[in-house]
Amino acid sequence: MTEMIKLFVNGEEVEVESGKNLIDALEKVGIEIPHFCYHPALGADGNCRMCLVGIEEGRPPVVPACKTPAKEGMKVLLDADHIKKIQHDVMELEFINHPTDCPICDQAGECKLQDYYMKYEGTESRMRVPQVKKRKVQDFGGGVIHDQERCVACGRCVRFLRQITKTGELGLVNRGDDCRVEFFPGRPINNRYGLNVVDLCPVGALTSADFRFKQRAWFLKRAESICHGCSKGCNIMVDHNKEKYEDDIIYRIRPRHNEQVNGWFMCDAGRMTYKSENDNRLEECTLAGTVRPLTDILADAQSRIEKASKALFLVSPSASLEQLVAVQALAEKTGAAVSAFSDGYIVKDDGDDFLIKDDKAANRTGVDLLSIAKSRTHFDNMAKEADVFINFDNDLSRSLSEEQIGKLFKDTWVLNAATHPGHLGTAMAGKAGASVALRSWSEYHGVVVNCDGIAQKFVGGVMKNIERPDIVEIAAGLGSPATGAAAAWALVQKKIPALAEFGSFLELPAEGVNLTDNEAGK
Amino acid sequence: MQEAKILSAKFAIKNSNKLTVAKKNGAYQTLDKLFSSKQGEVIEVVKNSGLRGRGGAGFPTGMKWSFLPKGLDKPVYLAVNADESEPGTFKDRYILALDPHLLIEGIIIACYAINSHDAYIYIRGEYTTQRIVLQEAIDEAYKAGLLGKKVGKQNYRIDITIHRGGGAYICGEETALLESIEGKKGQPRSKPPFPAVEGLYACPTIINNVQSIASLPWIIQNGAMAYKRYGIESATGTHLFGISGHVEKPGVYELPFGLPLLDVINEMAGGVWKGRKLKGVIPGGSSCPILTPEEAATATLDYASMAEHKTMFGSGGIVVLDETVSMPELTLNLIQFYHHESCGQCTPCREGLGWMEKILKKILGGDAETKDLNLVRELCDNIEGKTVCVLAAACTMPVRALLDKYRDEFEALLKPEPASATTEAPAEQE
Repeated sequence: MTEMIKLFVNGEEVEVESGKNLIDALEKVGIEIPHFCYHPALGADGNCRMCLVGIEEGRPPVVPACKTPAKEGMKVLLDADHIKKIQHDVMELEFINHPTDCPICDQAGECKLQDYYMKYEGTESRMRVPQVKKRKVQDFGGGVIHDQERCVACGRCVRFLRQITKTGELGLVNRGDDCRVEFFPGRPINNRYGLNVVDLCPVGALTSADFRFKQRAWFLKRAESICHGCSKGCNIMVDHNKEKYEDDIIYRIRPRHNEQVNGWFMCDAGRMTYKSENDNRLEECTLAGTVRPLTDILADAQSRIEKASKALFLVSPSASLEQLVAVQALAEKTGAAVSAFSDGYIVKDDGDDFLIKDDKAANRTGVDLLSIAKSRTHFDNMAKEADVFINFDNDLSRSLSEEQIGKLFKDTWVLNAATHPGHLGTAMAGKAGASVALRSWSEYHGVVVNCDGIAQKFVGGVMKNIERPDIVEIAAGLGSPATGAAAAWALVQKKIPALAEFGSFLELPAEGVNLTDNEAGK
Repeated sequence: MQEAKILSAKFAIKNSNKLTVAKKNGAYQTLDKLFSSKQGEVIEVVKNSGLRGRGGAGFPTGMKWSFLPKGLDKPVYLAVNADESEPGTFKDRYILALDPHLLIEGIIIACYAINSHDAYIYIRGEYTTQRIVLQEAIDEAYKAGLLGKKVGKQNYRIDITIHRGGGAYICGEETALLESIEGKKGQPRSKPPFPAVEGLYACPTIINNVQSIASLPWIIQNGAMAYKRYGIESATGTHLFGISGHVEKPGVYELPFGLPLLDVINEMAGGVWKGRKLKGVIPGGSSCPILTPEEAATATLDYASMAEHKTMFGSGGIVVLDETVSMPELTLNLIQFYHHESCGQCTPCREGLGWMEKILKKILGGDAETKDLNLVRELCDNIEGKTVCVLAAACTMPVRALLDKYRDEFEALLKPEPASATTEAPAEQE
């Protein structure tokens, strides 16, 4: 338990956690201290002067909250006239050389300058002399575009690249109001986490080349999800929007704070996974080469499973716990074998000691928790025996060559349920007995367990124009006892008792449930 | 009125920067006495002497030393601030060029007192000759065994390294100076922690001005009581006053504290030149608020009197201004300097000083109205006291004084208000 201390804010007693600075301590109890340069992950710098607060009987009487630890009995002044005046004056100074080009700025709607102007300044400009001119649309590399005139020189980007990635591409150069963020000539941002500076930038000075001019922030719908790019399971916000007459499109992925998983950040590759959610998706369900309704395909497949001497179900190591148990239950009922063979999802030496992992599967720990076999030998043996093979969205082309896949399933009836084409390679395309276009992770809800044994829920907010089934629905259609999401969750709880206390996946806490001490057993 | 020759004793001697000449004239005679004293005793002597920092702030030197945390296993550093850049201040350069061995001897004393073995002299980049002379003196001192592993044959190591600045005024601010020595962009650190606890390379560090350090040998040699005989009780000893501007005999004069300002200007510097009338005096370098002739008449050269006159003693750089000076132009000149030298780190200083400069230009261009004049005056209050360091205040304090004391000169430059002019809508606030 964190130790609690009592202090006074504007004369009222509040109880806050000790060991934090005033900004963090008071934020936890819902009291905002405005700030630009401070960021919990980057520490206090004290340059923006927006967080100056009064301390009654303090020496000095006005201090930067970011550098001031919360102390027992402290008397903090936030709404005193002299503090309000400081906030107003600092905001006025932030604005005098700001272009105020909000109508064409991508930060509009989520900009601290806008928010603080409304809250702390709100007066007309008194700037009646020419503004400082600086560079616009500067390519910082790594997909980051810089507008020097919008910059408030808080240095968050500089500190991120020095402290977190330790690549130090950016620096603050020049003095006075000529001060600006620059990269060293010929050495632009070049690391796998560079786009985090866009999120860190409190204003519109750093924008993403990928996202800019695509959507206004206030039109975006937000879904709290988990990145499926690797086994780290970074917490993300999926920002999507369905414009009139258009499909529901994801415009960007941003990291969501979770101290025990990803902190405040995520990798650039994870950010870009939204593209494959939008593009090149399987759209149709086919049976023997012709487009057919899903029910027809499932009926056909079900009868084949019943008649088969051996059926093999291949699941994806990125599938949710619910999907895995649904297929597993189906296999138990029909006597089929289940494999999660996915050696190709592991990209050796790709990971680092920060967020990127070698294993590109989102739920391999979940596969292990459910004791689903994943060895190559098991898969090969079962594939040789099987005369019906159903692939539940495992991208087998990552693990095996087209030739190998073709050889394995030469005489097998294959149902390929997938989000994207090419999971079984192109050689199999014509041969597939049936194919089903699946929903992808941004479109369904579920729980995955990351590499550290933390079970995390995610919500699929994207509603595509084309209705696609989820794996749980397919399994149910093939006769799985997990007849729907609720039934599947109940099965998950039976197999993973640590999750038994949560009536639905939505009840999982935001920071996830650490299974390490019990089930995951790593 | 006579000069008191404590710091400037060897200034007139030919080749006083050479070790042999310096030694012949008394240099390094304190070392035996120093090393036979306990370190705490040295600090006590300095404390008792009443020596206050000569860089501008006037903080008691001995007390500063006693802020060092005890019992740490980290090294203690001494940083000597030779980044003399305040407009109107030109005293340290004389010590550096004419009596570098006095400074080195002072460094040995200070290092011994604070138990430091490594001293850095941060010298202003523009002081080329001074740096060369100082380096030669340090080299000579090393050769003579006055520096190095066994200082004066004692079992005490002292190494001195000169670090040359890149020409930024802000690097004279003690924490920006440390950043610069560490090889970073010269930007003040926000305090706490104070350098005495966490300074150079995160180790306890004492930063003293050249003149403060150079005052030490005389104090050790002659004792605290002897030093206190110079000056007044709240400001003991002597100071090198740099008198410049519109006087007949500008220059550096070593005088005890407490003398009447106008007497010093008239008797030492020959008075206002060309028989002109006095318009104002900047008493201690450009960041000190200006004194009108009436105020100057009652001011004496010490900390308390200057504070009574709502200005500062500063670094003793007295700038005398005659009746021909345009105060608005002087104000612009001041703001331009501080705007140019603002490190750009914190918002009020970074954005505000440039704004003030532009408004002043507008006023001088005859294009401004009363609201512009009021704005620049208001900005002084809005900026001051909200910044990481005192550079912004070093600009706003003198500008505020100039605007208040010579307001009619600024008003004379304003555009006549048009007959139909409406006053500016009052700033709307929620």
